Amino acid sequence: MAEEKKRSIDKATEELLEKAEKEQISTAFFRADEIRPCPIGVEESCCKVCSMGPCRLPRSKKGEEKRRVGVCGATIETVVARNFARKIAAGTAAHSDHAREVVETFLKAALGQAQGFEIKDEVKLLEVALDFNIEIEGKEIKDIAVELGRKALDEFGKQHGELVYIGKAPLKRQELWRRLGVVPRGVDREVVEVMHRTHMGVDQDYTHIIEQATRCALADGWGGSMISTDLQDIMFGTPVPVVGKINLGVLKEDEVNVVVHGHEPFLPELLAAASRDPEIKKLAEKAGAKGINLAGMCCSANEVLMRHGIPCAGNFLQQELALVTGAVELMTVDVQCQMQGLQDVAACFHTKLVTTSDRAKIEGAVHMEFHPDSGLDMAKKILKMAIENYPNRRGSVYIPDQARDIVVGFSHETINYLLGGLFRASYRPLNDNIINGRIRGVAGVVGCNNVRTVHDSAHIAMIKELIKNDVLVLTTGCAAMACGKEGLLTPEAAREFAGDGLAEVCEAVGIPPVLHMGACVDNSRLLIAATAMVKEGGLGDDLSDLPVVGAAPEWMSEKALAIGQYFVASGVFTVFGTTWPTVGSEKVTRHLFEEFEEIYKGMWAYEEDPVKAAHLMISQIDKKRKALGLEKARERVLFDMAMRRELA
Amino acid sequence: MSEYIYDEKERFDGEKVKVLGPTYEEGKPDGSYDWKARLDTRELTVNYLRSALRYWYSKDWFGSERRKKDA
Ligand code: SF4
Ligand code: SF4
Repeated sequence: MAEEKKRSIDKATEELLEKAEKEQISTAFFRADEIRPCPIGVEESCCKVCSMGPCRLPRSKKGEEKRRVGVCGATIETVVARNFARKIAAGTAAHSDHAREVVETFLKAALGQAQGFEIKDEVKLLEVALDFNIEIEGKEIKDIAVELGRKALDEFGKQHGELVYIGKAPLKRQELWRRLGVVPRGVDREVVEVMHRTHMGVDQDYTHIIEQATRCALADGWGGSMISTDLQDIMFGTPVPVVGKINLGVLKEDEVNVVVHGHEPFLPELLAAASRDPEIKKLAEKAGAKGINLAGMCCSANEVLMRHGIPCAGNFLQQELALVTGAVELMTVDVQCQMQGLQDVAACFHTKLVTTSDRAKIEGAVHMEFHPDSGLDMAKKILKMAIENYPNRRGSVYIPDQARDIVVGFSHETINYLLGGLFRASYRPLNDNIINGRIRGVAGVVGCNNVRTVHDSAHIAMIKELIKNDVLVLTTGCAAMACGKEGLLTPEAAREFAGDGLAEVCEAVGIPPVLHMGACVDNSRLLIAATAMVKEGGLGDDLSDLPVVGAAPEWMSEKALAIGQYFVASGVFTVFGTTWPTVGSEKVTRHLFEEFEEIYKGMWAYEEDPVKAAHLMISQIDKKRKALGLEKARERVLFDMAMRRELA
Repeated sequence: MSEYIYDEKERFDGEKVKVLGPTYEEGKPDGSYDWKARLDTRELTVNYLRSALRYWYSKDWFGSERRKKDA
């Protein structure tokens, strides 16, 4: 008998897949068996930008010397580079459209027109105001916020000059970008220019296409994403360490379960507030439930988990499975990463699927558009709808008994604080521990789940290998949730999984060996943390000098490519797993995997095996250590709790 | 530092290092740990920005980048 296919390393996922199979409910896991990727598409060797095509340009077979071009004469290099650039543009557009929504809501909040929203983090407001060159002395908070909102909005439509946040990068990196001519002018402009250049018959030199893709990706990392992160922090609070719970076991059999899924934190924030309303609680009890249980999914989950400790039901590939429990009264979805298959699963149960963004509807789902001016009323309406739906549960309810404790909320400000206290906050201890060799280096491991890889397996194998080798891991998105489910997000994990040097530092500071830094847009926090390491000194004067690497072993979203490209263009070696979208052209791949090191001092790599990929990362870290003269670690004073107390 | 007891362990490059042994304190917070709450005046906040976030907001301190120019 053929061995049963392993689909996930997560027990809750396996259990619910069994239930789905028994009840004949379609999920992404089963659909993936039926749809194999197109062999030409998977190599990105197909151009369909004009109606003379699609032109398929598969690689030459062994021994065959055939130069294939499209009807217009476009080479495989042009086709592959076009496809790659367009994906980056789409990823950037996704993050920046989210960011624009954040800025518009922020402006309304500043003007007092957004129901239930306020300026929660005045410290961060003043911080960001300084970035935007806003005079803060003697000015009211409200006026500063309005000015900031207007200036931030300009970043999208700006046509000339440079994005403001470029000025936060290390000086040497800024100079390099300027010399190469890749400094983004305005976020929207860079996305539009990628789309124009990749239109039929425009840019036909792959290096030139990739150059614009790079400028566009930088507009994401040092533009749209950074704006989202910062303004969300101001509105909802900068994350601080908080305990939470993760996995499908956070759903409750005797409570009204409401799952928030998607990426924008506005409605989830208000649902969190509304669920504490005594009137709502009373209604839930009247319906026979013990209360309202709010849980998150994907990056909306990361946002409310980091800020309120609201439990996280799971990551990308668990979204349909949350509904398969039969215990979800209502799921809200806004934008990005929500599967259309959700509606079919919801229809098998009593679950109401509610689309809430003006940008996204799902056929068959209830559409209730979120507008900040009436946000709180809508949050209450949604909760009432869920309560009314509670008595309609039908079929079998099964909630796997799987949930774990996690500690999350490591914004770069918090890391800075944890290392040195309030007024001597500093990355010095981190740099020192890298210099003395307790910490070998730092890795940002981020990104999605992909059904073509055993769910969560690559994240966990890679991250365990890294921390075992004394590499501190920073994580976001669905990777962060995989870590939580595996027990890597608690300080105790340092003892169990980390190498001696890293464990020692984690124990002294009281942090996990894997730091949860937020949602996908919050990868910008990683850029800032790395920049602080450079500016602190002792580890070179550019991001590319640091023993810092990046990875997305289970990526699937176009956003992940945009993120990877801005990591690489910022000087960080970045390895992806599962699949790689330029294999159709050796030249384009060589450009990104080798020539990029010359140009940006950071480059891409692809490795399917997550442990091998971890070793690629470790060898890069060691290469940087050697260049810094750190291959023989220097012993320094141990920076322990007592010393930190003295500093506080 | 005397309240701590150390063990000796081996680091990735083979060197011996001291690690906190039995006196390791579990660092799990009970709730949310809002360290920013202490910054309750504009003056404190600006001080914090200029010192704690000196990497970007200090007028006269610019880490490795300043050192580079001095050298
Ligand atoms: S642009 Fe050229 S390669 Fe692409 S579909 Fe049209 S003819 Fe084919
Ligand atoms: S990590 Fe990937 S799958 Fe997960 S929410 Fe972000 S983009 Fe979506």
